Amino acid sequence: MKKFNDIPDKNPFKVPESYFEQVNRKIISATSGYEQEVRKVNFYNRFRTSILIAASVGGFILISFAAIKLLTPDKRNFEVSQVLHEINPDSIINDIDLSLLEENASSIVLSEEGTDVSKKDIIDYLLLNNVDINDIYEQL
Amino acid sequence: MKLNSIRPDDNISELLKTDLNTGFRILVEKYSQKLYWHIRRLVILHEDADDALQNTFINVWKSIGNFRSESSLYTWLYTIATNEALAIINKRKRNAAVSFDDLDSYFASSLEGSTWFDGDEAQLKLQNAILKLPEKQRIVFNLKYFDEMTYEEMSRVLKTSEGALKASYHHAVKKIGNIIVND
Repeated sequence: MKKFNDIPDKNPFKVPESYFEQVNRKIISATSGYEQEVRKVNFYNRFRTSILIAASVGGFILISFAAIKLLTPDKRNFEVSQVLHEINPDSIINDIDLSLLEENASSIVLSEEGTDVSKKDIIDYLLLNNVDINDIYEQL
Repeated sequence: MKLNSIRPDDNISELLKTDLNTGFRILVEKYSQKLYWHIRRLVILHEDADDALQNTFINVWKSIGNFRSESSLYTWLYTIATNEALAIINKRKRNAAVSFDDLDSYFASSLEGSTWFDGDEAQLKLQNAILKLPEKQRIVFNLKYFDEMTYEEMSRVLKTSEGALKASYHHAVKKIGNIIVND
């Protein structure tokens, strides 16, 4: 239904004389120089379904592998913690060579070079703590 | 006489399969005028419409092998013609120093443009009002008002729902009415 009835229906645009006969001829002769596009089925289109299925399966495997890897606890860490848990602290102490430890410790504690504390200070300290003087000189 | 009644599109589609050159010649003869006026109403200038029309048929020729006969030849041709017209409009917009919001500025861009318009004052007003519409509304209005295309056909040409097209046409008519009254 025309809404603008007061406006004449006449086409207000003009074309040059015999335009349509000329343009039709022009189009027909112009198109003879153009090749037609033949619908080409390329590699992707031909194997599209197979490629999509393969990609989906591959994606599923990848995601599953990543999920298993992330959600399963690390076996190596588990073994280390298990081993540490099983070790009795007493057995560690038993394994230490006490005589060697004593020898190394006394050389550090009692040598004058390794410490600022003099022999006199040690003797005074031990006397204050009621240690027998003879024991002290025996040790020194 | 309606151009569509000259030779049914089904016959042309069949002929395009059996005798391509004859089928194409009949197609050009049947549709060149109709498509020209559709393009012309969008691009306004004859020289632009001439370019767009030739490009339309060259594209039709090149891609006729891809045309599926179950689709409508008429709407397929209008889709290509509309796209060619829009390509010309966009090209002109890119190259234009000023915007074209009325026929005078449009014609000023071409020496021959105004020579090919012989409408009266009312028609000039209507064309100026149509030019002020947004692009999509302008196409919808032209297809409905001048080409008397159904919403179903238009929906196939513009790939838009019929509801949206009806709303678009309604807005366009309202806007044009206001522009004409207030101008």
